[in-house]
Amino acid sequence: MASIDIHVEHLTRVEGHGDITFNARDGRVENVQWSITEAPRFFEAFVRGRSYDYLQPITSRICGICSIGHSMASLKATEAALGVETGEQTVLLRRLALHAENMQSHILHLGYLVAPDLFGVGSVFPLVHTNKEEVVKIVALHRLANYMSDLTCGRTTHPIRLKVGGFSMIPTKKELLELKGRLEGSIQTIMDVANVVRSAAGALPDFSRETEYIGLVSDDHYALYDGEIGSTDTGIHPVKDYLDITNEYVVPQSTAKYAKHNRDSYMVGALARFNLNYEKLSPLGKEVASLFGLKPISYNPFMNNIAQLVEYADSVQDSLFIIDELLDRGLKEDNAEVVVKAGRGIGAVEVPRGILFHDYTIDKTGNCVKANCIIPTNQNHANIQHDMEALGPTLLDRSEKEIELALEMLVRAYDPCISCSTHYLNVRFK
Amino acid sequence: MKPKVAFFDFASCEGCQLQVANLEEKILDLIEVVDVVSFREVMKEHSDDYDIAIVEGSIQRPMDEERLKGIRKNAKVLIALGACACTGGLNKLRNKWTVENVKEEVYGDSDIEGNPLFDVHEAKALDEVVKVDLYIPGCPINRDEFTRFVSQLAMGRTPRLPSYPVCVECKKNENQCVFELGQFCLGPVTRAGCNAICPTHGEGCDGCRGYLDDPRMDAQKDVMRKYGVTLDEMMKRMTMYNYRKEGY
Amino acid sequence: MDGIKGLLKMKTLTRDKWQEFVNELIAGDEREVVGVKAKGNRFHFGPLEDASELRLDYDVTILPPKKELLPQHEELLSFDISRSFEVRAVKDDNRKILIGVHPYDLRAINMMDQIYLGEHIDEHYRTRRENTLIIASDILNVPERAFCASMGTHLVDEGFDLLVTDLGDRVVITEGTDEGRGLLKDHADAEEATAEDVEAVRRLREGLPSKYSREVLVDQKEWPSLLEDNYDHPVWGEQARKCLTCGTCTLVCPTCVCYDVDDEVELDMKSGSRKRTWDGCLLKEFTLVAGGEIFRESPLERYRHRYYRKGVYLPKRFGFVACVGCGRCAAQCLPDIADPSEIINSIHSFSMERRKELPVPKVEIKGIKEDLLVPKSATIVAKKRMTDIEVLYQIELDSGEELDHKPGQFVEVSIFGVGEAPISISSSPGGRRFELLVRNVGDVTSKMEELCVGDKIGIRGPFGNGFDMEELSGSNMLFIGGGCGLAPLRSLILTTLENRSDFRDVTILYGCKDPEAILFDDDLSDWKERKDVEFLQTVDTCPEGQCWEGNTGVITTLIPKVDLDPRDVIAVIVGPPVMYRFVINDLKKRGVPDENIIVSLERRMKCGVGKCGHCQINGVYVCLEGPVFRYSDVKDLPEAF
Repeated sequence: MASIDIHVEHLTRVEGHGDITFNARDGRVENVQWSITEAPRFFEAFVRGRSYDYLQPITSRICGICSIGHSMASLKATEAALGVETGEQTVLLRRLALHAENMQSHILHLGYLVAPDLFGVGSVFPLVHTNKEEVVKIVALHRLANYMSDLTCGRTTHPIRLKVGGFSMIPTKKELLELKGRLEGSIQTIMDVANVVRSAAGALPDFSRETEYIGLVSDDHYALYDGEIGSTDTGIHPVKDYLDITNEYVVPQSTAKYAKHNRDSYMVGALARFNLNYEKLSPLGKEVASLFGLKPISYNPFMNNIAQLVEYADSVQDSLFIIDELLDRGLKEDNAEVVVKAGRGIGAVEVPRGILFHDYTIDKTGNCVKANCIIPTNQNHANIQHDMEALGPTLLDRSEKEIELALEMLVRAYDPCISCSTHYLNVRFK
Repeated sequence: MKPKVAFFDFASCEGCQLQVANLEEKILDLIEVVDVVSFREVMKEHSDDYDIAIVEGSIQRPMDEERLKGIRKNAKVLIALGACACTGGLNKLRNKWTVENVKEEVYGDSDIEGNPLFDVHEAKALDEVVKVDLYIPGCPINRDEFTRFVSQLAMGRTPRLPSYPVCVECKKNENQCVFELGQFCLGPVTRAGCNAICPTHGEGCDGCRGYLDDPRMDAQKDVMRKYGVTLDEMMKRMTMYNYRKEGY
Repeated sequence: MDGIKGLLKMKTLTRDKWQEFVNELIAGDEREVVGVKAKGNRFHFGPLEDASELRLDYDVTILPPKKELLPQHEELLSFDISRSFEVRAVKDDNRKILIGVHPYDLRAINMMDQIYLGEHIDEHYRTRRENTLIIASDILNVPERAFCASMGTHLVDEGFDLLVTDLGDRVVITEGTDEGRGLLKDHADAEEATAEDVEAVRRLREGLPSKYSREVLVDQKEWPSLLEDNYDHPVWGEQARKCLTCGTCTLVCPTCVCYDVDDEVELDMKSGSRKRTWDGCLLKEFTLVAGGEIFRESPLERYRHRYYRKGVYLPKRFGFVACVGCGRCAAQCLPDIADPSEIINSIHSFSMERRKELPVPKVEIKGIKEDLLVPKSATIVAKKRMTDIEVLYQIELDSGEELDHKPGQFVEVSIFGVGEAPISISSSPGGRRFELLVRNVGDVTSKMEELCVGDKIGIRGPFGNGFDMEELSGSNMLFIGGGCGLAPLRSLILTTLENRSDFRDVTILYGCKDPEAILFDDDLSDWKERKDVEFLQTVDTCPEGQCWEGNTGVITTLIPKVDLDPRDVIAVIVGPPVMYRFVINDLKKRGVPDENIIVSLERRMKCGVGKCGHCQINGVYVCLEGPVFRYSDVKDLPEAF
């Protein structure tokens, strides 16, 4: 058989810059590599010496898509370091904001970044003409998520209302009722979109590789905002042990690091959460999962896409429960008092792409002297590499174009957020 | 003939491009007005034949400079999208320390010497490397400003940014001045166009859209002093999105 | 001021019945009810959903109720650019009731009425004003920085439909108009006010002045002359140094009413609108023209202008000092330099007494009934290129009517979706056609350059005062045109030549940058040939490659060549700003008196009808009292040259 050489520079339809290389000769895979070429941005330098009330706006800018998630992890870490106890209303509103982010990110990923592959086109733009009705529905679901982000955070990207101890502004009762109406009205659209995806889901390869899955777990709900670290291999671990779980290390072909735990790599993200927390899914979430026959534990990374759709539905329904609870309690000012003191705190939160850790050490004047962030996509890079190594050989009987597409779809399925992931070791400031 | 538009990004969080993807229904109109020939984040296709290049992100490495110069050559009009491209944004905060110092802090003694991926210099805004024709500032950009720019370009107009400060939009929104709420705000010296979004949601402006062409800095410092901001804190905030070695 | 005209009836409502009344108004879907509500720890006017939200005990709102009559953003016109000419005015006929307007804000609304419903009526404002009922309320609490009592604006006895005095357990209502009376009759269960009620109201009003901790020490009638004595007072520089030029003072002021206008087009490239938004003279680009010049550039000039508009120009024009002492600017100015009472008091205590007259000429304006903001459809019937950036167009109004202009007037040319530009009329009056010389300096003029015969544009106008042909009749005329100043001057020259026998000597001087910049070649040859006209021409320089055999040098080099009796000539000068100083100087040296020199001045003309505020030279509106001026009338205006 002839030699196959594929090099995809700056993979399209993913966030950030990464390259795929695939070389095969005489029926054997010689090299398959996923490398990150994203420019490092040195975010530690940005938070160096900054006052505790500026850590959230700065770390929010690590990522444009998960900015709400970074903000949450940052605030939790800051609050843990300063010993600030946030009120129940604040927690409910923050959970609502995280749902909005999950919804926004997942539907963007599915509708704009993955759907083109399922329909055999290069981008969503041609679909506007051939499948206008479906695109309009996806856009409507996207708009709902943006509206929800605006309401809870002031803005989808780089939230404004979030601050240490609570919120600078909270929605009014009228606004929550309006949101509730819109969420309820979206359920039919979700099912329509799910059916459209199902009709095209055959394009997702049937690939499986036993993998460890890691994510937040909680006793009583599908954890996004609060919980302990859960692993499908090793059970439950306290958040403070996150370094023992993640074990980051540098590799030469990548400006981003790799991670490993019980095996050579592990996966985080929607599929990981699904595998760990299936029982806690809302009825609507489970209904969407059953539409695709998706059950835990699924070892097919391509199912991460479907798990995202499941999570969109779950987020909508859980948001409705949260809104009802907020309205029952009655909205009032609920910001916690902040007393500046030295301390260290870790915040763990689920963002659309997986579990995120922020770890801050703050001195007695309230300035940050040490910081560490472990990004979900960092934790996935090694797994992407190993999945590629396993998938590669099974593709050798296909055309070059098909091999390229399959490898691209694999990376896309992880919904990587590469520009976040390019940095950081444990850093101590002198 | 629809103008051909291509999007590019360098060192950024991609939040500004996300605002374009977040145009929701308007994106359907957008692709009727212009021909998007390259937009890596949402499209597989790419073409080097474009009229307008819209670029997000700062320039960190020699390889980035080369790529940007190539884009400048291909484009008739180059638009800097977002704070990182316009002023360097947050990326410039590390310019306070030397490159060696920062690399050592972050990568320790890992073997990155001679690797072009890690060969960083000072963070630079786009116009420190090539000529920029238009600026759409903000962190992130304001979607309405973006569509206004596109619609004006399509009409043959030269889009212009407001030359007045954020206070104008803030007052039109009837906000209570955040100084009265015990916060500090760079609104009076920052370029409007964001509809004063941060003060409207209860947070002081941090100047992410860049300062006006001749901002009243001394008057601003007087006000901040009057409200009890220390010099150190003042400089930290004023240089956050608009880093300048010599401060203000 | 006691505040109650004897004939106004007063009624009383118990507190509960007052709430019921307001709730009934809210429930009815005839009118939207807007009242004073809390906003954070301040107040604002907003839609009421329940009477319990209404806070008649407020001291002052962040923004004045002017926003209900002249909104921050307002759609004026909507158009469809995919059609050849489709535009319509957008009127807001939403019917409203405002509840809680304090006397000082009511006085300010009356001032706004005089500005917007004066000779040229602003139809958008009028529609909204006619659809709004005002329920004013007596002041109960006074904000720290207000000085209404010393401005006499703490009480009011007219201008409201109803006036409410909240006495706590009951509310006394003074009827103002028939509509107010009807509102009360239809929706409230009110009793006649008792003598005690009337007395309680009187006592409340009497006790009000003592609540003010601030006062201005100068009577309003004296403000204009005090300010005219102190145009160069050191206080302006001292305060302007701290000024952020952020525009807050003008935005929160109830009597500030200037606005800017811009066109926008949706991404569908079809539907668009022309919107107006609040603008303010403190902002840098308030006086920016397309060519790039800013006529009031320094913070000092802008800071000072606001006080002069309030205290000199508007009083001279309308008879009122445009300040009601509400204290909003004083309270919200971050560097705290915006307080009129402090500035007036401080100047008063150390007056420089160096009088600078700042006249506001009274001009007769014929009231126009139609909507002055809606452009009329017109077609380009001929197009002739003059230079590489200037094109002469012949235009006809599609309605068939004549433009009926005077020489020296201008029109506002609309290209929907791009904007509007003021262009002087270049042809003499009479006939359906008129001519415009368009110079490509900005978005509108550059777009216009692309248009062809048969294309349509929008025309508003003619605006401005134009030259007074009757006054000029019988004189020796000396026309001096520089560069594209010849365009408006030509309309006067042609009119003069069409009535040649009405004038004695006619001399025309024309100078421009270089031979390639020469305009109106055909007319120039005409004038050169005519025996009854003396025509001299020059170019500043003749660069290599261009042909020129005539005089070279700036236009002042032509003046010595003219044989004139300085006491018996009218000189009309139109040209770039820099030209005026030199030409006028030379003419004066020849002995031409100031009254015999006429100029045409350019500023940023936007509305054309004396409302948007951008074209002001001190207190003079260039679009109303100009652009044609007698030099003696403007030579002392500090901002003129």
